[in-house]
Amino acid sequence: MRNLFRASDYWGPVGAASTVIYTLFIGLPILALLIKAAGQESFIGSLTGEPVLQALRLSLITSSISILIVIGVGTPFARILARGNSLPLRVVDHLVELPIVLPPVVSGVAMLLAFGRQGILGPALSGLGISLPFTAAAVIFAQVFVAAPFYIRAAKLGFQSVAREYEDISQTLGVSPWATFRRLTLPLAGPSLLTGIALAWARAISEFGATIMFAGNLTGKTQTMPLAIMSALETSLDTAVALSVLLLVLALLVLIALGLITRRRGTASL
Amino acid sequence: MMPQAAASPAGPARGWVSYRVGEFCLETEWEVLPGQIMALFGPSGAGKTTLLRAIAGLLRPQDGHIEVGGRVVFDRAQNIWEPPHQRRVGFLTQQYHLFPHLTVAGNIAYGLPRRNSRETRARVQELVASFHLEGLESRRPNEISAGQQQRAALARALAPDPAALLLDEPFTSLDTELRRALRRELRDSLARANIPVIMVSHDIEEAVSIGDLVQVISDGKPQITGNPLQVLGQPGQGRVARLVGVENLLKLRVASRHTRDGTMVCVGDGLPAGLQLEVPLGDPEPGDAVTVGIRASDIILADAEPKGSSARNRLSGIVSGVELRPPGYEVTLSCHGADLKCHITGTSLNEMGIRPGMNLWAVFKASSCFLVQDDLS
Repeated sequence: MRNLFRASDYWGPVGAASTVIYTLFIGLPILALLIKAAGQESFIGSLTGEPVLQALRLSLITSSISILIVIGVGTPFARILARGNSLPLRVVDHLVELPIVLPPVVSGVAMLLAFGRQGILGPALSGLGISLPFTAAAVIFAQVFVAAPFYIRAAKLGFQSVAREYEDISQTLGVSPWATFRRLTLPLAGPSLLTGIALAWARAISEFGATIMFAGNLTGKTQTMPLAIMSALETSLDTAVALSVLLLVLALLVLIALGLITRRRGTASL
Repeated sequence: MMPQAAASPAGPARGWVSYRVGEFCLETEWEVLPGQIMALFGPSGAGKTTLLRAIAGLLRPQDGHIEVGGRVVFDRAQNIWEPPHQRRVGFLTQQYHLFPHLTVAGNIAYGLPRRNSRETRARVQELVASFHLEGLESRRPNEISAGQQQRAALARALAPDPAALLLDEPFTSLDTELRRALRRELRDSLARANIPVIMVSHDIEEAVSIGDLVQVISDGKPQITGNPLQVLGQPGQGRVARLVGVENLLKLRVASRHTRDGTMVCVGDGLPAGLQLEVPLGDPEPGDAVTVGIRASDIILADAEPKGSSARNRLSGIVSGVELRPPGYEVTLSCHGADLKCHITGTSLNEMGIRPGMNLWAVFKASSCFLVQDDLS
């Protein structure tokens, strides 16, 4: 604390006060969560109910599939965005980031209007015997919709950080464009891609608003962990707390992973 | 010296291209034989780098024909287009662009097939040795000096045994002193590779001291092509003269070589005795005739012999002419029968009261002198 005051004469007291206030503001709720969980008779017991396990399993499976889709589609797309400069591409570039700022509930409504039974593609999909809303597939749709921009943005910046000359030289050394991407671009952009993956995955697993609008809250079918927490609050606070702590731990793991990535980047890059 | 030669088919690099983008139009042709270095000289924006990129396959001209190592890699009429990774054309950029995630050895091995094989390791070791990179193999590019980076990048470019090599202003990232010192080293390395080399430069001094052949290019068109003396000696058109003008070209003879200092002493050839210059060490042996170039702006004028100056060359002479040459003046000094042109600011001219008939000293460093490659001598 003494150091904080000394850091700058002018901002010292104000800075110290805001630091304390903010740390308490963030720390207290988290501490409360942990105290409540620690006070439980059986923390593990609260997590073993069938609906809880189902929610946990569904969350892990859907978020994993979502992140694979995001990587598979987002990587080539980010690569195009990073190098392209045409007007339509620049418009798309801005649109991509829309879901980041759009309220997730709005995303859910929009997806219903596009892929729902009454939606634009509804008749075509039901003609094929497909009904998306209120299925696990809908959960994945919602997660991809809100999470993909985080990855695409990070990947685009990562690819842009690789000077074009590196790729040019690699090719003049007899290395094909694909091998150049694998041996040069990917390792150089790697830290950015990993950051994007971590952020997108965290966003996918915490998805709530778009999921509840588009996929609903069906136990065992579309009820992911955040939805299960909300449902549990009505019946068993212990379960809600246990699930919350679980998500908190996952979030901390993501944070640690990000820290490690940025630290490695600090030393490994130029 | 190029080991395990996958025997790149020796052949000239030649062709012509026509490339238009917006207002700019590049229309040029070239022919460089194996073992020959063509210096492509011209101001910024003349189209030099564009031409290199076209030869490497990094951009596609609207029309043209490009041959490398006896193969046609581009011909619009025959609809031939080889992508860069199949052309076997090495490319060295201004900043060298060593891959930051790889070590020096990793960079050199990058273009070799079967990266973990014994031959590859042997090849890398051989290149490390011939480019004096011993002990730096496991360093990262940011941990070595600019001169070492240049050598590592050159080793990397030559490792896959290219059929031709393109150098885009390879000395821009180095400071002036190092630049002059590394010229000879680069020439030697390139001579060993025995492939056609095209080097872009916007510094005429660099172009004539490295190139066996110099092409002056301006506004996308070749203005003159020939050996350095032809280009410097008879620039012909006014435009070329303006582009290349090296003011002082002295015909001298090598008297002695001083390997330890990295210099040679040259004396006036058939001129009144006394003209003696120290110039950077080059290939010529004692007794050989050489042409030495000196930029007028590299010469300092003094009214007494300077003491304690590090500049090796001090010549006394008599002012035979003073001419206005914006932004300053050009002073002609008669030294031992040779006319030296020196550039000086108006302020200095007035302060020293320079006028014809006055006795002055011309002072310049050995490293300011450069040997002009002369095929005819």
